[in-house]
Amino acid sequence: MADDNKGLVAAGASLVWRRQRVLWWVFAVNFILGAMGTASAHHQLEEVLGRSLAGRSLTNGFDLGMFLELVRVPESNLFRSHHDSLHAGILFFLFMLFITGGILTVYREDRKLKTGEFFGASGTFFWRFVRLALLALVPFIILGSALWGADKLSDYVGDRAVSAETGFYIFLAGAILITLLALFVRLWFDVAQVRAVVQDEHKMWSNLWKALGISWRNVSTLFRVYLCISGVAWVTLAVGLFLWAKLPPTATPVTFLLLEFIILMQLLTRLWQRASAITWYKRHAAAFPADAVDYTTPAPVELAELGAVLPEQAPARESEADGGTEIPKDSQQQP
Amino acid sequence: MQAKKLVFAVVAILLSAAAMQGQSPFAPRVTGPLSQRVVAYQIDATYVPDKHEVDATETLTYHNLTGKPLDHFPFHLYLNAFQPNSTWVREAHREGYFRSSTFNKGWDAKRNGSNDVTSLEVVGMGDVTKQIKFASPDDENPDDKTVIDVPLPRPVEPGQDVIFKIKFRATFPEVVARTGYKRTFLLAGQWFPKVGVWWNGAWNCHQFHAMTEFFADFGTYDVKITLPKDYIIGATGVQTSDTDNGNTTKTVAFHAEDVHDFAWTADPNFKVLESEFNGSVGAVRIRLLTYDSHKSSWQRYIDVMQGTMKRFDEWYGPYPYAQITVVDPPHGAMEAGGMEYPTFITGDTLWWAPKGQKAFPEVATEHEFGHQYWYAMVATNEFENAWLDEGINSYTEVKVMGSLYGKDTSLLNWLGAQMGDAADQRMSYLGVAETDPLSRTSYQDMSMGAYAGVTYGKTATMLLTLEAVVGQETLQKALHVYFMKYRFGHPTQEDFLRTVNEVAGQDLGWYWQQAVYGTQVLDYRVRRADSARVDWANKDAPEEKNGETPFVTNVLLQRLGDFIFPVVAEIKFDNGETIREKWDGQDRWKRYVYLKKAQVLSVEIDPDHQITMDRNYLNNSIATEPQRGAIQKIATYWLFCTQFFAQMLSWLA
Repeated sequence: MADDNKGLVAAGASLVWRRQRVLWWVFAVNFILGAMGTASAHHQLEEVLGRSLAGRSLTNGFDLGMFLELVRVPESNLFRSHHDSLHAGILFFLFMLFITGGILTVYREDRKLKTGEFFGASGTFFWRFVRLALLALVPFIILGSALWGADKLSDYVGDRAVSAETGFYIFLAGAILITLLALFVRLWFDVAQVRAVVQDEHKMWSNLWKALGISWRNVSTLFRVYLCISGVAWVTLAVGLFLWAKLPPTATPVTFLLLEFIILMQLLTRLWQRASAITWYKRHAAAFPADAVDYTTPAPVELAELGAVLPEQAPARESEADGGTEIPKDSQQQP
Repeated sequence: MQAKKLVFAVVAILLSAAAMQGQSPFAPRVTGPLSQRVVAYQIDATYVPDKHEVDATETLTYHNLTGKPLDHFPFHLYLNAFQPNSTWVREAHREGYFRSSTFNKGWDAKRNGSNDVTSLEVVGMGDVTKQIKFASPDDENPDDKTVIDVPLPRPVEPGQDVIFKIKFRATFPEVVARTGYKRTFLLAGQWFPKVGVWWNGAWNCHQFHAMTEFFADFGTYDVKITLPKDYIIGATGVQTSDTDNGNTTKTVAFHAEDVHDFAWTADPNFKVLESEFNGSVGAVRIRLLTYDSHKSSWQRYIDVMQGTMKRFDEWYGPYPYAQITVVDPPHGAMEAGGMEYPTFITGDTLWWAPKGQKAFPEVATEHEFGHQYWYAMVATNEFENAWLDEGINSYTEVKVMGSLYGKDTSLLNWLGAQMGDAADQRMSYLGVAETDPLSRTSYQDMSMGAYAGVTYGKTATMLLTLEAVVGQETLQKALHVYFMKYRFGHPTQEDFLRTVNEVAGQDLGWYWQQAVYGTQVLDYRVRRADSARVDWANKDAPEEKNGETPFVTNVLLQRLGDFIFPVVAEIKFDNGETIREKWDGQDRWKRYVYLKKAQVLSVEIDPDHQITMDRNYLNNSIATEPQRGAIQKIATYWLFCTQFFAQMLSWLA
């Protein structure tokens, strides 16, 4: 199994690269929704700054005082448009929830799907993924509460400690731990989504527990992969923001490109994690024989023979209806 | 050799002890008295850290310089403000907060504080403890115990002295409103019974209010504080002795002259750093009491103190005392930070404070040192005219910070963003531009936010705007004259306004009426700026040519607010010509028409950006060409934030 895990990160990257149309589409939708969410603010800015010289201090630097004035003065009241950004974010979340089935199918098949196939797959898995997303709220709420607890603990201990840094380091340690746990939860639910697609799982509750078992038994491999790719995302973000701070204040076009590159990298690394997860699962599908059943498509039968055949077919159909964890043929063929 | 070393050490210790005993409270080239000394306090206090209590005996000698017989004396007992039904707490609860503390979630017993007078004797007249009555001159709150009135058996005649012997216990709250404890740290402010001020023919002794500060008479202070040996202590004035009591305690004595309050601090964890400022009256010792975990701020404290003291010395006048003690409160004790007492200030910092931001410790330290001038020496009534200390100090803060760290970067110059202190004051003012006049009794302002915005922000903005009328140098000179004339006194707002008028050589009543006594809002706007061909009606007019085709340009300026102020408008044409027009602003609008072989490019009111009171900068200009730079930049950032938020949210999918 150890040998099978070699190059998993690279294989995931390679898969994202081969199927980069997915990335570009996701990025395009993110950009369009972002632009829609920003449109009204843009319009407001046009209204108050379009013919005013007041914006010069924002062009030739970033005069925070002038920016706050834009926020504060009733004529501009910049933040009244923030709801649009919020809505754009929610729409993008729903969009990603919808197309995740399609994306995973593309990665499973490792081929270009026709539009109908892609959205068909997206629709097929949508409600299952909605159920998974709702279930995911439970661990994420627990982790959120833990973060709140870490904050309170750091306040409590920090308030009693002589050193000013004590509280901060307690919170930092808690935040890092919770981030890692959140990453594991994400991995766990990703594996559940992969299983849903690869093995056409229907019962998300049992799927989730099986995914937890698989994720936990293979945590060293899978978590390392996820952490490594997350590291790329975090480093890219940090370097990108560092470069942004170093750019000349008037270099808005370059800033735009840099910030969009950061977004692209964030989306890319997320897809990279999914691609790595599905690559790993495909490699090890055979390692879960307990759930495996013969998925070979039965040979066509004459209608006249149907009556004789049905009794033998019945158990298999029942298994499918139960949301059994059959491994698709193409997955079984990959060692 | 060993014996020689021992003798040398003993001599050195004796010499330093002698120097300490003879330590003058003044800078080398200053001799007192500097003020009309009304009070002389001698306090012998013992601090009990476990209980956060001080037991003390206070002897107050009051010189009756009022010219009238005085038959009763009011005293402040400020620590009684920290009780659930006090006026201070009622006001803080009404607002929901005070500084960084919230006051809307029930009463926390840790906030209890008190001043208990256990006995009060008037020398030669007997014990008058039983005659003490609480007074609530401001709001008649029967539960407020921050002022007591002490009737005397017989009046103190003009020119005579009266001596009060007071035994009291001060119990400190966990740090709130500039005073109290945090872990082993103690900031003892407003901790002893302090007599009111006879002012304008009456006693002036207000209750403690949430929004305003203090007022007291000048005099001398001799204070002895007994506390555990391991405590490091700092206080108003200079230390005159440090005596080991032979048990677990020591007694440290301080002496101060020509000051009107006495505060002290103690903590075994203090780290002491010293520096020296060489000003026009000699060397002044800067004594910083800080913490190891604030190491990154140590040099910043010293640098800002040196820079600030230099500018105050050059611009406004000398700092005459021998020492300034700067306290850097520990984490969690921000409520004790950013406060001023005579020769003793508290700064504020965070262990992680980036150098690019100057709010902590620079602005906090500069501001509090500024109060040595606008409060400690020019001792205005902070209850009634807070703008005279906080406001003028905010203005000088803008000037000093701008001089030290750049006009447009004196508050922030970090990660590509900039902000000047003046912009911060303006932000504070904008939210409350029309709520309260500066002249209103400060504790009666509409709200805490209004008090802060008006007292600090509006005053600073008002004085910055005044520079457009009288010039920066004239205003600086006026402040110098005001300081030199009224230091060690209790001037009124009229004294300040009159001084500026005199130095400026003009009657600025029109300005004071609107900016100080009024609530008018200043807002000017360029309503229209365009050029049209003169021969627009001629269908056969020749093709337009640069520099040859005549245009008629219309510029329309409008006054939106009620504040009348003369403004300058700059009109730029596409042939490079620039015209500056002066408009007195009296009417509601003003039209300018130009006939030129050039088209208007832009019109801007207040092109030098001096009128910081203008409520809306965005409508101060019109450009005929689109100005897209700022729009694109903000839209780019906003787009990024929206996209980033969206992809973060999608992580849950």
